[in-house]
Amino acid sequence: MKRTVYIRFTIILLIVGFMLSVQYNTVQNPETRDTRDIWAIRQELAKETELHSELLSEVRVLEQTIGKYENMVNESPKIALNDTVEQLEREIGLDDVNSPGLMITVEPSLESMIVGQAIEEISPDLLVRLINEINRFKAKAVEVDGKRIIYSSAIRDVNGKTTVNNLAIRHAPFNIKIGTSTYEDAKKMYNQLEASAIGDDFYIDNLRLVIGEPQHSMSISAYDQTVSKQFLQEVPGGE
Amino acid sequence: MWLPLLGLILGISLGLLTDIQIPKIYESYLSIAVLAALDTLFGGIRAQLQHVYDDKVFVSGFFFNIALAAALAFLGVHLGVDLYLAAIFAFGVRLFQNIAVIRRILLTKWSERKNA
Repeated sequence: MKRTVYIRFTIILLIVGFMLSVQYNTVQNPETRDTRDIWAIRQELAKETELHSELLSEVRVLEQTIGKYENMVNESPKIALNDTVEQLEREIGLDDVNSPGLMITVEPSLESMIVGQAIEEISPDLLVRLINEINRFKAKAVEVDGKRIIYSSAIRDVNGKTTVNNLAIRHAPFNIKIGTSTYEDAKKMYNQLEASAIGDDFYIDNLRLVIGEPQHSMSISAYDQTVSKQFLQEVPGGE
Repeated sequence: MWLPLLGLILGISLGLLTDIQIPKIYESYLSIAVLAALDTLFGGIRAQLQHVYDDKVFVSGFFFNIALAAALAFLGVHLGVDLYLAAIFAFGVRLFQNIAVIRRILLTKWSERKNA
């Protein structure tokens, strides 16, 4: 008699324990559902593929550099190093660039001129938005009113004046030069900028974007201030 | 005494190791079923201590209570009334009563043994 009671209790307790732990599992680690549809997944896949090919091309460039070093190490390591320094300077914008590209002119809108409104300066937010838009379309070099944009360029409001690299930019009209890798890229950039909604944002501020025709050759000036190094340190000579 | 405890530990480890999860919408059903099971369990222990334990009542009560609680919760969901609260209330009150009775019986037994 007593034995069957114990067995019954054991079975019931087994079920209770199982239910308790299942409940615990469910409450503690709620299952997060993947709610992406096939297009969202495809888009993410496309993004990853793009990243993959970008990384591959970067690897190729680096391998070329290694090859160059290996070839030149016996002859003249200085040339190879100078080559690399030049390449790095070109990449971050410390060198003049002569490449295909296009020029954008920021003008006061016709309406504001007719009405006779005071021409306001371009706001830093709007300029940042335009630069982001341009960079999204893979620009190689950008120059705003003669000031080259590099990785550390600051676009901000200083005492009510919009500045780029701590230098004030003129009231409209002024030019923005965009350099691209190829003429085809410049044409693509022209079409993308024409199609983008950035012009409407300028219109709100009584400004107008005039996007110039793509050109085969355009010179963009170098960044003329010193680049502050945060992490790199110069090694004393001879070491 | 150790056999039921072993069953409980076995059940918990089985559930934790298999890592079974139930969909969110059935969570309330399981919680109420757990409560019903605990209620029946303590009812059974009380009956055993009071020497009125019946196998059939215990086992049928276990499954019937769980089914009833789940059915009440189901009905509540479809009527838009939180009927599962009624079941939680009923089971909760009974759980406390059962545990109180078990405590008293054990205390009486303990004091009897001490006096003897």
